[in-house]
Amino acid sequence: MLWLILFFIVPIFIVAAYSVGLLSLLPSDAGVSFFAWKRLLEWDAVYLQLFRKSIWMALEVSVIVVVLAYPVGYFLALVVGRRRYILLLLIIAPFLTSYLLRVLAWRLILGAEGVVNSLLVTIGAREAGDPIQWLIYSRFTVILVLVYVWVPFVALPIFVTLENLDRSLLEAGSDLGASRVRTFLRVTLPLSLPGVAAAFTFVFIPTIGEFITPSLVGGTKGTMYGNAISELFLKGSNWETGSVLALFLVIVVAVLMLVLGRFVQVRNVEAI
Amino acid sequence: MFFGVLLIFLYAPIAVLVIFSFNDSLLVSLPLSGFTTKWYRLLLDNEELTSSLQVSLVIAGISSVVAVGLGVLASYALVRRRVPGKGAASALLLSPLVIPYVVFGIALLILFQSLDDFLIPRFGFYFGFGVHTIVIGHVVVSIPYTILTIMPRLEKLGVAVEEAAHDLGGSSVSTFRRVTLPLLTPSVISAYLIAFTLSFDEYAIASFVAGDVSTYPLFLYGQVRIRIGLPQMIAISVIVLVLSLVFVIGVEAWRRHAEQRLGMQPVV
Repeated sequence: MLWLILFFIVPIFIVAAYSVGLLSLLPSDAGVSFFAWKRLLEWDAVYLQLFRKSIWMALEVSVIVVVLAYPVGYFLALVVGRRRYILLLLIIAPFLTSYLLRVLAWRLILGAEGVVNSLLVTIGAREAGDPIQWLIYSRFTVILVLVYVWVPFVALPIFVTLENLDRSLLEAGSDLGASRVRTFLRVTLPLSLPGVAAAFTFVFIPTIGEFITPSLVGGTKGTMYGNAISELFLKGSNWETGSVLALFLVIVVAVLMLVLGRFVQVRNVEAI
Repeated sequence: MFFGVLLIFLYAPIAVLVIFSFNDSLLVSLPLSGFTTKWYRLLLDNEELTSSLQVSLVIAGISSVVAVGLGVLASYALVRRRVPGKGAASALLLSPLVIPYVVFGIALLILFQSLDDFLIPRFGFYFGFGVHTIVIGHVVVSIPYTILTIMPRLEKLGVAVEEAAHDLGGSSVSTFRRVTLPLLTPSVISAYLIAFTLSFDEYAIASFVAGDVSTYPLFLYGQVRIRIGLPQMIAISVIVLVLSLVFVIGVEAWRRHAEQRLGMQPVV
């Protein structure tokens, strides 16, 4: 018994240790730190704009992902019979392989001399040397790739939510004379909403701070907030401003979690 | 039908990589230039690449073992024991799931740097950055996944079997070892696989706390902009992707099968 408490403390301790790291984001010199915060909030409207852009992009990605993943989950949970788990596995497997490699693959596909553009040149639809510009190094690219990466991840909790629905409720709907569409709109969808909201949260929040995909396929137009933080730490040595930006992100994330956290109970999260 | 389209969409980029890994050209363009396996052969000579692969394998191996171990213990404590503050504890344990990796990465960077700043003047040695720091980072972000893999199975197992073992005279520890753990084996292996692939592919945290060490994702990222190295990178990517796909699908399918044979209902 004592053993277990002890071993239980250890993982918590490790997690707490990194929280300490988070706290040390506050620069030690109080005067300087307030100055840095002022800079963030007024002069660097640049950073705030970048933040807003990132939130907006994260929102777009999350919405699209959920919209795409829901039919998949629905199909697997309520339509397919015995083969559902195999198909589910097929959908999820890419997510469990390599994030980096899948992003790189898209870079190759969408690039100026990449698959798409060279295909167009080959079939004569475009001149060589005149590639479609907005495919790569743009906001569109970042959103497309992030959606690609996240859809498998989101399909799982939506699937589990839908699978766990009480079928008798759905049947009751049609017994009472509702068409399939109405049953879906009035029964299935509302019942599945908490699980969907949880899944949405798990895409939305990490995506706000996303920086790998933007750095690989975003170019200047697709930069996100996370890139700013990462560069301040790795390229400049401006840890102060970087810390302030990071702390700001943490605060926003914490607030979002409180708000959206109603949906995220361990029950819902287990599915992931 | 939408499903089929989506499936194609999901696997298409991977297929593209596979095709171009055999393409005899430095460019990833159509039309194809001819079949070759030279990129795969060149891989073996690329020392930077092979050493970064080794580093990543080591890191992934260590961090996944630790993460699974801690995850099992934590799951057990959360499910079977009456611990005060369980809600807060589980929130804390699962929190890395929603912390953006960039924040976590720099938090670790600051933490280790402060640690060094503290240690060096006083004791003359330092903690440093390298494999150990990367492992720590990976363990922490892997723990939520291992807990989420093991806890549902542990819950569904039910106390009955364990109580029976107790009644027959087993101590807590031996019950755990001889009854619970074997029943958990499929989930444990799944958790191990998830933690391993997570660590092996992990770029964000490694980019902050790696120091001089080069992991496979770090190396790959650096190589992306160099034209000459590109086909080799594609080739190794294909190997990694195909291997991990095979592993993941294989192990998961096996897990299902094993659990069914053990008489357990599917969790997922």
